[in-house]
Amino acid sequence: MTAIAAIATRRRRQDRVARGLLALGTMLALIPLALILYYLIVKGIGAWSWSFFTTDPTGSFFGDPGGIKSAILGTIEIVGLATALAAPVGIGVAIWLVEYGKSNPVATAVRYFIDVMTGVPSIVFGLFIYITLVLSGIGGTFAGWKGAVALALLALPIVTRSAEVVLVLVPDTLREAGLALGAPRWKVITRVVLPAALPGIVTGVLLAVARAAGETAPLIFTATIVKTSSFDLGAPMNSLPAQIFSDVGQAQDRLVTRAWGAALTLVALIFLFTTLARLFARRSAVR
Amino acid sequence: MRSRLLIPLLMLLAAIPVIVAACGSSSNNKTGPAQGGTISGAGATFPQPVYDEWASKFKDKSGTTVNYNPIGSGGGIAQFTANTVDFGATDSAMKDSEVAAVKKGTPVHVPTVFGAITISYNVSGVQKGLKLDGPTAANIFLGKITKWNDSAIKTLNPGVSLPSTAITVVHRSDESGTTKLFTTFLSDYSPTWASQVGADKTVKWPTGTGAAKNAGVAGAIKQTDGAIGYVEQAYALQNNFTTADVKNKSGKYVAPSLQSTSAAGQGLKVPADLRFSAINSPNPNAYPIASATFLLVYQDMCKAGKSNDTAQRVANWLNYALGPGQQVAPQLQYAPLPANILSQAQAKVDALTCNGTKLQKASY
Amino acid sequence: MESASIGATYGGRPVIGRPPLARLPDRLVKWGLAALSVGILLLIGFFFVRLYIEARPAFEKFGFFGFTFTNNWDVHAAHFGALPLLVGTLITAGVALVIGVPVAVATALFTTEFCPRRFRGPLAATVDLLAAVPSVVYGLWGFFVLIPKLRPAEQWFSDKFAFLPFVGGHVAGPSYFIAGLVLAIMIIPIVSAITREVISTVPTDQKEAALALGATRWEMIRMAVLPYSRAGITGAAMLGLGRAMGETIAATIVIGNAPVIGKSLFDQGYTLAAVIANEFGEAAADPLHRAALIAAGLVLFVMTLIVNAVARGIIVRGPARERGTASEAFGATG
Repeated sequence: MTAIAAIATRRRRQDRVARGLLALGTMLALIPLALILYYLIVKGIGAWSWSFFTTDPTGSFFGDPGGIKSAILGTIEIVGLATALAAPVGIGVAIWLVEYGKSNPVATAVRYFIDVMTGVPSIVFGLFIYITLVLSGIGGTFAGWKGAVALALLALPIVTRSAEVVLVLVPDTLREAGLALGAPRWKVITRVVLPAALPGIVTGVLLAVARAAGETAPLIFTATIVKTSSFDLGAPMNSLPAQIFSDVGQAQDRLVTRAWGAALTLVALIFLFTTLARLFARRSAVR
Repeated sequence: MRSRLLIPLLMLLAAIPVIVAACGSSSNNKTGPAQGGTISGAGATFPQPVYDEWASKFKDKSGTTVNYNPIGSGGGIAQFTANTVDFGATDSAMKDSEVAAVKKGTPVHVPTVFGAITISYNVSGVQKGLKLDGPTAANIFLGKITKWNDSAIKTLNPGVSLPSTAITVVHRSDESGTTKLFTTFLSDYSPTWASQVGADKTVKWPTGTGAAKNAGVAGAIKQTDGAIGYVEQAYALQNNFTTADVKNKSGKYVAPSLQSTSAAGQGLKVPADLRFSAINSPNPNAYPIASATFLLVYQDMCKAGKSNDTAQRVANWLNYALGPGQQVAPQLQYAPLPANILSQAQAKVDALTCNGTKLQKASY
Repeated sequence: MESASIGATYGGRPVIGRPPLARLPDRLVKWGLAALSVGILLLIGFFFVRLYIEARPAFEKFGFFGFTFTNNWDVHAAHFGALPLLVGTLITAGVALVIGVPVAVATALFTTEFCPRRFRGPLAATVDLLAAVPSVVYGLWGFFVLIPKLRPAEQWFSDKFAFLPFVGGHVAGPSYFIAGLVLAIMIIPIVSAITREVISTVPTDQKEAALALGATRWEMIRMAVLPYSRAGITGAAMLGLGRAMGETIAATIVIGNAPVIGKSLFDQGYTLAAVIANEFGEAAADPLHRAALIAAGLVLFVMTLIVNAVARGIIVRGPARERGTASEAFGATG
């Protein structure tokens, strides 16, 4: 009796230790977040005001420095376009890899190189687009859409990889049930597999969007830095990371505060977008 | 039930940027030819504040928007050469090899303002105005002088009590025209520095911590007791840094200020193409670590591919810079051009052409 | 599934098989997606080739191995040997993985298995908030907050444990360790989010079977959840590794940017991505320098190739598993 009880106690203790460690790990993840958010808020909230969001930066150092309206609009437009490019393509490739390509050599090659692409520094994507699209003068020199393409290249491997990981985990039984009921392959994919994997795919897309929205280097060489608001993606366009980059090294304190306010705005925007998208996905998911 | 609210909510959110964009404003009474429009430039980070301030005032006067992208002098030269911008900007004049690489026309260097590099430090108990000369500074940055109370520093500063704190050197980690100017100065005074390290936009620093941009170096200096580093004058003056008085060519110890910076260019013999450097100027009142920053344009912008309007706007911009801009610059702690250089620069701008015809000179 | 139509009908519609026209959407989808994937492969190939063309002057001057393995990155002398950058990238990415992946997996496990159901969504969303912070903010926070706050502790550690290799000496501030730490924080959201998705698709019958046999919660995780998700977790870790190796702005602000191989973990160093960010603006006008920087990007590319190949080798050689599991994501056959 005691031997069994001893084993039971030891196992229970292991269980408790494990729980404690996992909780500790979670704390370790949350503490930096709290510290960073606190730092961001303390440094940036002073910049927030109605004019902060509704006026463009003026570049003036004595008069009104203006707000970050053009940066907010630019980020929404450029990241929106980048997502519109990267998400369908990424999910499409992931579907092909999981449903059709499986282990054939082409699929292995695609998988492998997409993995490698996740490790390319963001600045290299910017340089690539700069060399191929800006210097060659296609569609003018600097343009918002070129920045969007650079960001899409950055986001694509993330979307593909995470979508693939999730799609593969949809049990074959679901697929076979659909097929057994006489549905064509494509319907099984769109009506059975995708909805089952949707929350995971949305997570992947959101991670990619969050990453793309915060990257400075690809935009500096492609969409460049401007001050005015614009809806013309064919012209240079401002963006929040570019604005932060431009402001944060300035000598004037209020410009530095504006940089932090812009960073806080970026975090808030991404958070808002992410939450909304998650709510939307959860409603459409088949669980 | 909730999803019924979701769509209208999303539409409302999508409408916000449109509403916000509509809340804009503009101003009137512009003067000069080719009003309105946009021109773009890229290059040195050093003059960005003054170019941005000028751009804001220039827009009020002429309606033209000037977008300046501070990606660095090298980037400015590269984009100017590739003709992807309307004007370039660089802290140091283009080298012969860089000039030779320009295929679309003849590059014209237009100096705009003078700036200086301060030697800033953070040593408890030591005030502003510590005297340093070239060789001592070089030895500090070489790592040969390691403590603040070293005899070399003491000899230059007999009345100052220096602690025995270790010297922490802070330098730029990113490539910068600032680094080039500073290392040129060190090379002039220290053969060891010249041969071991050299003068360039980025060098292999024998010692010290690297920090990104002026803000990074400034932050690192502030954080560390015993730190010493080099910071742009505009930045240092605006933030009230503790700066050293540096010995110039004539033997005088000069504090970095707008006057001593402009003095570096006074009476300086500059070549006809205005590709000069004012480091270690012979002027007795000059601060030795000072030099000009340049805007780059093509002699004939239209032959290079720009439209008539764009060329006129760039000329307007340059005229503003050399005109009212010179009054605005000191307010931002940038030194205006000394009279001799200003007149030569103005002459260059007056000579700019578009397909052979001279451009109009607007006055602001 | 696509069998020849036999012709038997029931109520006018074919019973067995489908008419060829009805198979058309399937074919379109299959070949359309295949074309898309091959297109992406070609794009990546073009990307690689284009960059190689730009980088060639540097490789021609120094040789591929000369460029990659020489320990001398001296811009002024126009000598470009990328070894210190390579080492810096490996060390910081290594530190990031060692610290970040366990924390991320622990967080994911806690969120899906131990957290009360009500808080799961909010907790997951909170951890994911780490991904919303732009990289420049991570860098600045690391520089202005982490470095000064951790320096005393680092110095203490450096002194007390100086007998360990790679420890000891004066702690400057920016270092491999701080860079690795900041990168670790940056990869937590991505690794955690994917791991969460992977763990939550473990079939409940497997978990319930373990519990029914009397396993404790932790034992159930160890026996039923982790083996099933191991390949998926590795996929998540690979994404995290990719981020850590390619991170540009944050790394450059906190690593000190010294193009030397530091002797200790608390020394300053440099990474391949950081050097590109720091020097490209000024290098754009100098052909050899520009080529060298793009070459550095390519070296990073190749390094990622190798690391991924190694990781795949480890996974594929793991115990055999059933079809429809994540091992297929790594190309395992059978």
